[in-house]
Amino acid sequence: MFLSYRWLQRHVDLTGVSAQEIAEDLTIHTAEVEGVEPFAPALSDVVVGHVVDRKPHPDADRLSVCTVDVGDDTPLNIVCGAPNVDAGQKVAVGRVGTVLPGNLKLKKAKIRGVESRGMICSERELELGDEHSGIWVLPDDAQVGVPVAQALGIDDWIIEIENKSLTHRPDLWGHRGIATEIAAIRGLELLPLDLTLPETAGGEPYPVRVESPGCPRYLGLPISGVRVERSPLWLRLLLIAAGQRPLDLLVDLSNFVMLDLGQPNHLFDAGRLSSEGILVRNARAGETMTTLDDVERTFTQNDMLIVSGDEPVAVAGVMGGEASKVAEGTTDLLLEVAAFDATTVRRTAQRLGLRTDASTRFEKTLDPTLPAKAAAHLVHTLRAIQPDVTLPRAMGDAGTWTDPACDVELRPERVRIVLGADVPDDEIERILTSLGFGVVRSASPWSVRVPSDRAAKDVGIEEDLIEEVGRMFGYGNIAERPLEGPLVPAPRDERRELVELLQNRLAGAARFHEALTHTFQFDALLQRLGAFDEAYLEVLNPQIDGCARIRRSILPSLLGVLEGNRRHSDDVRLFEIGKGYRPEDANERGEPREVHQLAIVWALPRPGKNARFDAGVMSRLQSVVDDLIRVARRSASGWRALDATDVPSWAHPGRSMANEFATVGVLDPGVKRELGLDGDLECDVAFAELSLDALLAADEAPHAYHPIPRFPSVKVDVAFSVPEAFAAGDAIAVVEAAGKGLVHSTEMFDLYRGDSVGAGKKSLALHVRLLASDRTLSDEDVARFVGRVERGIERAGGELRSE
Amino acid sequence: MLSPEAEAIRDEALAGVAAASDVAALASVDRTFLGKDGAVGQILASIKDAPPEKRKQLGQEANALKQVIGGAIEERREALRAEALVAERASDGFDPTLPGAPLQRGSLHPVTQVTRELQGIFSSMGYAILDGPEVELDDYNFEALNIPADHPAREMYDTFWCKGDANLLLRTHTSPVQIRALETLEPPFRAIAPGRCFRNETVDASHEHTFHQMEGLVVGEGITVGHLIGAMKTFLREVFRRDLEIRLRPGFFPFVEPGFELDVRCPFCAEKTPRGCSVCKRTTWIELCPCGMVHPRVLAFGGVDAEKYTGFAFGLGLSRLVMLRFGIDDIRHLMGADLRFLEQF
Ligand SMILES: [Zn+2]
Repeated sequence: MFLSYRWLQRHVDLTGVSAQEIAEDLTIHTAEVEGVEPFAPALSDVVVGHVVDRKPHPDADRLSVCTVDVGDDTPLNIVCGAPNVDAGQKVAVGRVGTVLPGNLKLKKAKIRGVESRGMICSERELELGDEHSGIWVLPDDAQVGVPVAQALGIDDWIIEIENKSLTHRPDLWGHRGIATEIAAIRGLELLPLDLTLPETAGGEPYPVRVESPGCPRYLGLPISGVRVERSPLWLRLLLIAAGQRPLDLLVDLSNFVMLDLGQPNHLFDAGRLSSEGILVRNARAGETMTTLDDVERTFTQNDMLIVSGDEPVAVAGVMGGEASKVAEGTTDLLLEVAAFDATTVRRTAQRLGLRTDASTRFEKTLDPTLPAKAAAHLVHTLRAIQPDVTLPRAMGDAGTWTDPACDVELRPERVRIVLGADVPDDEIERILTSLGFGVVRSASPWSVRVPSDRAAKDVGIEEDLIEEVGRMFGYGNIAERPLEGPLVPAPRDERRELVELLQNRLAGAARFHEALTHTFQFDALLQRLGAFDEAYLEVLNPQIDGCARIRRSILPSLLGVLEGNRRHSDDVRLFEIGKGYRPEDANERGEPREVHQLAIVWALPRPGKNARFDAGVMSRLQSVVDDLIRVARRSASGWRALDATDVPSWAHPGRSMANEFATVGVLDPGVKRELGLDGDLECDVAFAELSLDALLAADEAPHAYHPIPRFPSVKVDVAFSVPEAFAAGDAIAVVEAAGKGLVHSTEMFDLYRGDSVGAGKKSLALHVRLLASDRTLSDEDVARFVGRVERGIERAGGELRSE
Repeated sequence: MLSPEAEAIRDEALAGVAAASDVAALASVDRTFLGKDGAVGQILASIKDAPPEKRKQLGQEANALKQVIGGAIEERREALRAEALVAERASDGFDPTLPGAPLQRGSLHPVTQVTRELQGIFSSMGYAILDGPEVELDDYNFEALNIPADHPAREMYDTFWCKGDANLLLRTHTSPVQIRALETLEPPFRAIAPGRCFRNETVDASHEHTFHQMEGLVVGEGITVGHLIGAMKTFLREVFRRDLEIRLRPGFFPFVEPGFELDVRCPFCAEKTPRGCSVCKRTTWIELCPCGMVHPRVLAFGGVDAEKYTGFAFGLGLSRLVMLRFGIDDIRHLMGADLRFLEQF
């Protein structure tokens, strides 16, 4: 909302107080100020000129050559194209060097051979309205040579208030309300304003009926003998400063009252209404009307209409109708001032996509006592301009409204407790009174009368009054205080501790980068990953079409960013810890099951032919995951291969495995291509998914210390040739069994397939470290061990190749 | 007394030792003279065939040669080692400007880093760290926060609504954790709750539909606006490592009463005259977090006696703090998962 500093001065004497100081006051005590800008800055450069002489241009019919006195020693010669320019006029003159709106810098010019040293401006050229049929003729008493703003006393500042910060303050949507705040802040008097309705002609009041529950009050006041004309300069300038475009006196007055008191209102051409008067009712489904913006609107039963003779003439609280609008020749008016229900107006405005100055105000819940005051204000203002206007009939006033003014109990000691400041009783009383509250002091609690404009919306309980006192007292005057209380450890959050552990291990030892990705997943991505058909929670109003799904799992999001990262990096290691949502598994309150997951992806170029058997990315990621589980102090059973039924849709069907906490696998080759990881970006991709929920549900494995061996260990290498189907884990089991408790550790160091092993077979080789706790092992011990390994592996269908 | 032959051997050997320029050459001298088939070895071998009266002398000669030559070799070896050490200590070819060998490294996301820093500060002051769901119930996100259906304040939150259940949405702030905390914790307590939030705003360099906040909630007997100011100042002092001026100005949030916007004096232009920079948009203030005294209706919704207890709450813009901390000029990077961004942290 835009405030005019000069407009505020109609309500409070701001002598000696700058617009910037007002802005600062409002910021600290009332609402957020977006900025303070000078109004029409060009008016400080453009000066008053006196047209001393006007001659026709020798070579152009429509141009005049004027001699203009701007207070300098020599008058200026200015060529002017306006038809209304004449000798004797006072005009607004831009001189050479003056910058006009639109960043137009005036230069000396030759127009059709005649030199011109400046420009006589129209109102439009100064951004003071649409008027451009001629130059702006200033009042005769304007002082020559003085900047126009100063000469006319119209220099002004525009203060912009952030609308959101007025959401709860219907009383602040006009200049009078803001002026009330300023007066309270500065201890100034609010200037009086006559808000009593002048006497009307007697007889039956204008017929008004309210059928709709969304209209607590509707006033209809007939006004006669008006002329549609241009508004006086003062009115036009104030409206422009407040961001309104002046049109004609009646429209301008309607806007003026809204911007002054915060009460929207509407003027109908009474001649275009039915003699039956006004009815406020809900629309019939499909009913239509053309609004003032020349758009035909179709209504539903939830929309509230103003109807005359069963013809809709306005959308209640939103916009008037085209057919009944004031136009040239209008002499009789019906003034509508009403209180409309906030929700009804908001829904209609939203549905029609028609947020107007009126609807914005009604949405805040306006004071139902305000319409009568606004009607009076409009009549007084109109009469000041057109004194012969009459009120031919009593005002119609319908509705079931009640005055919201109420009494709220206030304990002054509670004010001090909540604020933590010693605000004396007298100060509390002074503040509340200055804001228009009525204070009856007694033993605590006091009774505080809340005026109707504050009670309409935001003040209803003691805390609301405490806020009033606090903001006026000044939060800056409250001293900081440390929290006190017993020192007890805050409850622990095991999940957060686990998250930190995993993050540290991954970013540290494992050297992965932590990423954050969006909660939404693209349909296209899920389709590529084959994960589209699962159950997803979706949002109704996605920002991007095809991106409404809320993720079930984190991993697809990370797979989605692989391609982009692969373009810049050979080795892409990313992880994310986050939440997934499973709508098929909602609780009785409708909350979807929340799963906490760690997702890891790792893309690497394929290892060379001579690389070690475990150089592949999956094998390395498997070790990372084993390490994470160990660091989390959980113990997992062995990895098992996932079969077609439980393998994730994006995983290689024959290269994926799981244990009770995690899944590890490589990306399916087809999916990899779908993700664009082929050609130049070809790489091996492994993924892992850990369930934090499963880790937290499992018991912590005891972290036992093993004594450092007292006797040396012996290293033995064994290699087997085994059938292809023989699992490495089984080979290790054979070795461990053969050790009879002496096997301290095993490490696979070769996996080989080839001619020397034979078709359908593979060779596995292990380093085995034997250790006894009570003696140094002998050659015989080793020989017995190897013998047992040999027999064991033969029983299992393989053979020992060497030791 | 050595025989002339022995003397010749000795002289030849010593010359060889002197000429040996490295350990290998010295080893060769050693073999040539002291080895099994070397010159001294041959003397020893000749003893058994020599006449008995000469044997003793031959034996003495051989031993003498062994000692002299062996000693010389040892001495020379020591000298060569010393020379080698000197050579090894030479700095030829050393270039400290050669970059170190590349190291693959990992990183924690800047949001994680700043969150942890704040958690550390607050938990040292006895705040519990809480978590809440990102898919929230309307009851918690709005209703219990004193924003009933049709409240105009709902429009301040561009909400993502879920399909199929009118009561489900993506939380627009971390404030619903306030209610969850009030329901589960017994006052007095202090808690923070960091996490992601969602608003359906058009994404550009300074707006993201997904961002991070950190809620704070302190409830107890006699908690005042003064405590709120104290808590905020303490936290800012810890984060920026100096005292920063703050100001509270009225702000409207239905779940607090009174409600404030907290501004902090821009630390980025503190030393400039006149003050003002692009970070604070020349205002010298940075809007940091909405806060206020918990509305009694909210306490009541959470089952807490609003007459006995008061409390304050704040909603720190975590994403904004991260951007301030690292000078990040485009919020989209935070959720972009681009290694070129992540690697910098
Ligand atoms: Zn700054």
